[in-house]
Amino acid sequence: MIPRGSEGVRHLATRVVADLIPKAVDAYTAADLGLTTALLDMVAQDYDRAVEVLVADQDDMRALFEAALGSIDDVALAARMSAAIAARPASLRVKDQSALADIAMRVLIDLQAYAEDAEARGEAWASALNLKIWTFLDAHVARRAYDSAF
Amino acid sequence: MTPREDELRSGLSAYLSRQWNTEARVETVSRIPGGASRETWRCAAMVGEEQRGLIVRLDPETSLIDTDRATEYRAMDAAHRAGVPTPEPLFLEADLRWLGRPFSITSEITGCQASADAIPDEHRETMGRRKWTLLGEIAALDPLALGLADAMPATTVETCAMEQMEYWTGVIAADEIHPNPVAEAAVRWLRRHPPPPAQKLSLVHGDYRTGNFLYTPDGEIAAILDWEMAHLGDPLEDLAWSLDPLWCWQNPERAGQLLPHAEAIRHWEAASGLKVNPAAFNWWRVFASVKGIGIWISSSEDYHNGASKQPILAMAGWLMTDRQQRILADYLSPHSTRRFYEAKA
Repeated sequence: MIPRGSEGVRHLATRVVADLIPKAVDAYTAADLGLTTALLDMVAQDYDRAVEVLVADQDDMRALFEAALGSIDDVALAARMSAAIAARPASLRVKDQSALADIAMRVLIDLQAYAEDAEARGEAWASALNLKIWTFLDAHVARRAYDSAF
Repeated sequence: MTPREDELRSGLSAYLSRQWNTEARVETVSRIPGGASRETWRCAAMVGEEQRGLIVRLDPETSLIDTDRATEYRAMDAAHRAGVPTPEPLFLEADLRWLGRPFSITSEITGCQASADAIPDEHRETMGRRKWTLLGEIAALDPLALGLADAMPATTVETCAMEQMEYWTGVIAADEIHPNPVAEAAVRWLRRHPPPPAQKLSLVHGDYRTGNFLYTPDGEIAAILDWEMAHLGDPLEDLAWSLDPLWCWQNPERAGQLLPHAEAIRHWEAASGLKVNPAAFNWWRVFASVKGIGIWISSSEDYHNGASKQPILAMAGWLMTDRQQRILADYLSPHSTRRFYEAKA
């Protein structure tokens, strides 16, 4: 087992750059290997942060749902929000965390659409909720940003 | 020569001999990097005593963009006839017996390259002027007079924007592996803020950006490539796509890594005879990023579930999706610092 996964993956990328690209038989193969190296670097970043990103997203969405629940008249949407608040992943594995985060994200998408409709009707609570959702979306995007010179 | 290259060489020799009614012998074939939507090969053929350079584009097993090769070929042919610099279209072939897949052939333009990173700094401003002047000239063409009504889906100045939006929204819904809340928010914004009707219907290239044209060492644009997403529509669509911050990520002030955004728009307006309506342009700017996410998500889906494991598909799905989401959040979030503010008209 590689003790530090992201470093291990980066070592693989170094190997491709230092030893395999110079031996590429044509420009197409060299370009393919160059892209593979850049992808390995992104895999290394995800290896390090994936669970933290998914858990943070879920924590933020649960907090949003709890705060908004009292303002939601749509019974079906409120029920989905409550279910998302109560849900817990089967494990810390990325696959389980990702599945649960996807379910909560679909609820969040519908909640934001609901808030936008209410905001268009001039309901003040909806504007405040939409602002909070955008705070979350900004964080959601920032957490997934890759550091790449590509 | 690999077995695949040998097969191509042999099939092309037979095909060209029949098309030109004289013996043609393809001597070399080499695959060109990039070109995620088609497999692109450079070939050298001897026809009698004359050597001819050709570019062959084959339908791939899976592609970044699901497109119709006939539309691409006819759009390029129309542009070529209208005097737009493009490779000369030679053949469009759907018969599988020659190469095992449909393909098109154009003449090769030699001595050029396409890499945005390799453009000499001293040529960036002049190349930028030429790039957006050419796009304005394409916008000014009459696509119906070029015979494109038969080659592309019909549309109107009133409906073209929402048709494009619904198309790419459908691609996202069909191909997304995980939910995309920022793209969904953008789609709702687009629906709530429809643009005014297009000033005219134009031939829209669909992927007009630095990297999709060939240039000479002295900075002249020799040919516009990659017409596979061409369609009829609002000319602002191409302008907004060409100015997307994705194409100048490391230096957002320089549109397409060439010149300031406002200058690009000025050259486009002068060549097209059209004026940029800021509200309409803003709509097409958000649309451009939604379309981008559609392309990147589609390529990611292909990479995960399709037969091809080309790294360019994964790159589009991972890095490009990340950056396109950051652009959309910059445009739409009430908390945004407007890093890409200058991209506004």
